[in-house]
Amino acid sequence: MRRLPPTIAVVDRQLCDECGLCMPLCPPAAIEMRREGLVVFAETCTGCGKCIAPCPVGALLMVPNPLLAVSLPSA
Amino acid sequence: MSEERCDVLVVGGGPAGLVAAREACAANSALEVLVLERDRAVGAPVRCGEGVGMKGVAEFLDPTGANWISRRITRVIFWAPDGTEVRVAEGDVGYILDRTRFEPALAADAGREGAEIRTGTEVVGIARDGAGWIARTRGPRGDGTVHARFIIGADGVESMIGRWAGLDTRVPSRDMESCAQYVVSGIDFDPDAIYLHFGDQLAPGGYAWVFPKSEGVANVGLGMVALKGDGRPAREWLHAYLDRYFPTGTRTGYTVGGVIVHTTVKRTVADALILCGDSAHMINPLSGGGIVTAMKAGRLAGRAAAGALAAGDTSAARLQRYHSDWMSLMGDDHERFYRIKEALNKFDDEFYNRLARTVNGIAPDKRTLGRVFAQALMQHPTLLPVAARYFV
Repeated sequence: MRRLPPTIAVVDRQLCDECGLCMPLCPPAAIEMRREGLVVFAETCTGCGKCIAPCPVGALLMVPNPLLAVSLPSA
Repeated sequence: MSEERCDVLVVGGGPAGLVAAREACAANSALEVLVLERDRAVGAPVRCGEGVGMKGVAEFLDPTGANWISRRITRVIFWAPDGTEVRVAEGDVGYILDRTRFEPALAADAGREGAEIRTGTEVVGIARDGAGWIARTRGPRGDGTVHARFIIGADGVESMIGRWAGLDTRVPSRDMESCAQYVVSGIDFDPDAIYLHFGDQLAPGGYAWVFPKSEGVANVGLGMVALKGDGRPAREWLHAYLDRYFPTGTRTGYTVGGVIVHTTVKRTVADALILCGDSAHMINPLSGGGIVTAMKAGRLAGRAAAGALAAGDTSAARLQRYHSDWMSLMGDDHERFYRIKEALNKFDDEFYNRLARTVNGIAPDKRTLGRVFAQALMQHPTLLPVAARYFV
């Protein structure tokens, strides 16, 4: 199993204009356009951040990886 | 869940896809050609500055009295970073389109040739299906599948068809222009001119533009490379630009999007599949112009698809001919333009300010692009290797 990145990209759908600019920038193709809006797949995102700055409306941001919180061993 | 069949499935109803559909039908009227467009209408929402060259567009639609022309352009005005104005071309330069009417005109042509255009329907995945492909679709009539003997991917910047087919359509960040544009009314400019405004402080790695829609109304936008910026998104750069240069205008609408200023992807074909237009990075990397290039590629793609189906050989090996035809037509030029872009990127604002002042020393009727370039060379001999590759 791959190492989970500490932070991953998420989309703010209120800001997103669904232009698709981020999609060809994403190395693992973790971003898809759905009828309901843009989706960043947490399981696929490597946290590289290449999509963040180019978004023309600033709709993508990095957040702590929620999957990491789930998979932490219990103390 | 509906299941249907067609000969050629065109994914994307923009200039590339609509011309591809028309040309495939024109080459063989027996072909069943289906165009799927995700948006509810072809041509809208507009994600484009809408400028095209006059000669290029006339290869595809007759501009005489056309309702898809917003404005005829007879001048190009460059603004250097310090505001020095350089008028370069005088004469018939191009048009500012009305894309909400342009695509419907292309679609009507494709329809007349026998293609079916279906809007509001997206392709959510493709897989091999014998010698052809099966596409999963989602639309107002629900989910469906289309068995296609051939797919033409014309799905724009996002280019999922290419990725699903195993073609590398990724874009390096430095080759992505982040663009934002407002339609601004009530501003003062020459309505017969397009303005291109350069400067690291206003659009790093790109330029700002004013493209007239009518007197007093223009598309005012900019494209910039985020890596060269300061972390603000393109739309905020545009707000700063408008506040400074057009503070009195009324902003009646905006759009954002990406323009790929790269070179044609290395592989544009797979078995029974061709990419054309933005999805294959077929854009002039110097200007960011992609409408006419998309249509030229679409024409090649439609004909190549019809030819391959008629010959009973849709192998990638046969389709490779499409790739080489494209490269000779425009792709090789784009590689040269890309090298020029890379060279120009190294210069600072002061270089462009000086260049603008020298060029203004040349008589307006002698201000050809070649002479402008020669001036640039004299100021900056490091451009010479690039120039040699360009002109040789």
